[in-house]
Amino acid sequence: MGTDQSDVLRGTLDLLILKTLTLEPMHGWGISARIQQFSRGLLDVNQGSLYPALQRLEQRGWIASDWRMTENNRRAKYYALTASGRRAVGAETANWRRYVQAVELILDIA
Amino acid sequence: MTLLAGFVARLRALFHPTATDNALNDEIRFHLELETEKNLRLGMSPADARRLAVAHFGGVQRVREEHRDVRRLQWIEDFAGDVRFALRTLRRTPALATAAIVTLTLGIGANVAIFSAVNAVVLRPLPFPAQDRLMVITEENPEKHWHLQTAAPANLLDWRAGVSDFEDVTGYVDGLGRSTLTGRGEPQLLNASYVMGNFFSTLGARAALGRALTFDDTWRGGSRVIVLSDRGWREHFAADPSIVGKSATIDGATFEIVGVMPPGFAYPRDEVDCWESIGWDKTKTGDVSFRRAHYMRAVARLKAGATQAHAGAQLQAVVDRLKREYPATNKFMGAAMMPLHDYLIGDTRLPLFILLTSVGFLLLIACANVGNLLLVQAAGREREAALRLALGAGRARLIRQALTESLVLSIVGGACGLALGWAATRALVYLQPRDMLRVRDFGVDSSVLVYVVAITVLSALIFGIAPALWTRHRNPSDSLKEGGRGAAHGRGVRRWGDILVVSEVALALLMTVGAGLLVRSFLQVRRVDAGFDPRGLLSASVELNARYDTSTKVTAFINAFEERVRAIPGVTAAALESNTPFNGTGYTSDFIAYGRPEGGYGTEIGNRSVTPNYFATMKVPVLRGRTFGPEDRAGSTPVLVINEALADSYFKGQDPIGQRIALDKVPTPKSTWYTIVGVVGSEHTDALDVAPRIEVFHAESQEPREFMVVLLRTNGDPAALTPALRGVLRDLDPTLALAEVAPVERLRDQSLARARFLTTLLFAFAVIGLLLAIVGVYGVLAHVSRNRTREMGIRIALGAQAGQVRWLVVRQGVRLTVIGLVVGGVVALFATRAMTKLLFNVAPNDPLTMVGVALILAATSICAAWIPALKASRADPSVALRAD
Repeated sequence: MGTDQSDVLRGTLDLLILKTLTLEPMHGWGISARIQQFSRGLLDVNQGSLYPALQRLEQRGWIASDWRMTENNRRAKYYALTASGRRAVGAETANWRRYVQAVELILDIA
Repeated sequence: MTLLAGFVARLRALFHPTATDNALNDEIRFHLELETEKNLRLGMSPADARRLAVAHFGGVQRVREEHRDVRRLQWIEDFAGDVRFALRTLRRTPALATAAIVTLTLGIGANVAIFSAVNAVVLRPLPFPAQDRLMVITEENPEKHWHLQTAAPANLLDWRAGVSDFEDVTGYVDGLGRSTLTGRGEPQLLNASYVMGNFFSTLGARAALGRALTFDDTWRGGSRVIVLSDRGWREHFAADPSIVGKSATIDGATFEIVGVMPPGFAYPRDEVDCWESIGWDKTKTGDVSFRRAHYMRAVARLKAGATQAHAGAQLQAVVDRLKREYPATNKFMGAAMMPLHDYLIGDTRLPLFILLTSVGFLLLIACANVGNLLLVQAAGREREAALRLALGAGRARLIRQALTESLVLSIVGGACGLALGWAATRALVYLQPRDMLRVRDFGVDSSVLVYVVAITVLSALIFGIAPALWTRHRNPSDSLKEGGRGAAHGRGVRRWGDILVVSEVALALLMTVGAGLLVRSFLQVRRVDAGFDPRGLLSASVELNARYDTSTKVTAFINAFEERVRAIPGVTAAALESNTPFNGTGYTSDFIAYGRPEGGYGTEIGNRSVTPNYFATMKVPVLRGRTFGPEDRAGSTPVLVINEALADSYFKGQDPIGQRIALDKVPTPKSTWYTIVGVVGSEHTDALDVAPRIEVFHAESQEPREFMVVLLRTNGDPAALTPALRGVLRDLDPTLALAEVAPVERLRDQSLARARFLTTLLFAFAVIGLLLAIVGVYGVLAHVSRNRTREMGIRIALGAQAGQVRWLVVRQGVRLTVIGLVVGGVVALFATRAMTKLLFNVAPNDPLTMVGVALILAATSICAAWIPALKASRADPSVALRAD
């Protein structure tokens, strides 16, 4: 596995998706809208990466999906956190904090 | 549960790619609709709203593809990435990679070589059609201690007629005879096999030219016919394509060559040149000798669909009937049946199995060593792994990475091992004793390749598991904080290291004990006194032909031959006898001593015919009485010399000299009573590790034989006498050929060849195993003590003596070695029982071997521990304390 930039971003996006889903099950558009909203517009999710990320998380067993009707009676795929996904949020959050620390350490030295 | 869910999703994607694609399309469409609606709410025109939504999404097609990649191809890319990474890592540590690959090459190479042998000998089917239906029928006689005996012709024919489950039953004489081909330049010797006519049809072989023999050819008829093997046809008949129908003069008689067999058919031996009909006289099948002489190796072919059990039951019914009908010959004569393949593998199976076990252990030790190298390396890469974990690499991914690294190593090792193994099979073919492995079947084939792949992957798993698991148990934050030292190096690595050392020592002990037992056994055999002096002796055989049709002519020839041979310059003594040394006893018979109850012996007695000079020439001691002299002639009182084994077992406490014996179980008025005139020392006639038989000797003049072995003693090199010997025979009778010319010492060595072969190989493997194990012990202890450098520095700073520090390291080595020795020793006590059959005068739990081997292992392993201990004790406190 490489340690290039896309990996970092991918890890970040995964964490953001998981964190968002802790609130309630949501469909893809809802997730991207919510992230934008929470980050006060600072983070604009590249929607192209969103669906592969959802797919990846589902494969890892951290989220599960099913087709439901929206309040406007439209069919949409909803994503929800699984039990292990809930555990993963904690671990990934800790990982992220550690990563930030590490990067800051390096930035301080250099 | 969640793993399962992920797996199900992936499985669904795998089997329903379009369904998943459609679902994704629906999802994207829904997303774009919502995005468009949002843009509309922001006041855009419908066209702009839609365009912007798509633009923001960033390329629908790209998403679809990426989505699909995640679903299916991720693992392939990951794997390729893993492999690249592994190669990079290995290139960064060339010493480690080389050590690991060399170790694996040795382990896998040894396995390839031995497995090739097992494959060629045990696993591969015989080259006959429907070979699983071919059975060998042997005669079994508990009274005479017969096992796997050749059959009497009359019994064989009765089985053939009486068992309906048999398609056919045929027979051949075990081993090859020597026939002299004349009329084509110099007389040539042909290796002839004597067979029944249905030999070829039963085995399922067809002639390449002309015809094979048929059942009718079994009987002595008008013209005599032979079939050539491909080898015989090429070597002796210049591959003449028009040979069929021509005649050849063999042993003075004229044969018609009726066929040539294809190259693949060479049975019962690879060296066969021709097959002659056994040529029984049809009018004499009722003679008692036809049921009394047991010399045919019987092979039956089961009918398609017949089972071995059912045919066996039918066979027993026939055997029981024969016991009743012919009590004189068959009262105790049983029969047994086994697949031909099993029969031919015979006693080769056990040595090969033991060799395979030994190389298996060797590979395990190699794996343990490589595992240790990788573990130490993994521990050294602590910080790197922690960083990757922190950057979001999955733990499963790290484990896979570690395993990929192992796999890359083992694949390189496997490829080198295959090459080494292939080379080693050539060496095995060269080194093997005659007839143990069938050379032309030997080599690397698909089974061997499958085996290599299997052991390669398996080894990767075995030695990769420790570093991989090690990766799993890490906590990245700890490692980052501690800078990759301390606790991480503590228990985890050390425990794995301990396990590795203990298992290596145990395996090495097993291997070395096995080899040690064989070495001891071999030395015991070597020390056995043959009963005669083989040094400076040359032996060669001569088979007389049809010109010698009376006893007088035979004896006259023998006397003349012996006299001329003795006149060869350099020859100090010469004699003739009826057997080749170390080649068993030709004839055996019943016997009874005069005045004893009948039928009380129940064992076979060897009987040989020798010229008077035999005992002096061979330096066989005369213990009592006399040997033969000129007074023992044809027509004078029949006399015998007996050997010590016979005197001890049947004339204990008596003087055998002057007693009379007959060579019948129950004497008849026609029986010849021989007077015992002397007792000589016993000789090992079969092999040094086979006890001497009970034997009687006839005077050649009273019992002439057409096959004789000439023995020459010299003070120089016996082989140098060969040309002179050939010259003597040529002058005496140019129609006779000399065969099997060999120094008797070489014959003795050949009789030990199999034991020597097995002992040498096991010994070599054990030495490699021992070395690898010692390197392993050294590696683990060196690593552990390197990590305790700071501790040692502190101890020394606090005033510890160098000896105390050394002892700290050595103590650990001693502890682990002792545990390994105990574990290995307990297993060895049971495992070596499998070797009992291969050992001579050595018990499988021979204490000398066990203790000796354990001491050697303990000593070497303490030496291995001493080096790191020495380094540790020289730790400079100031440097050690500052060490990372």
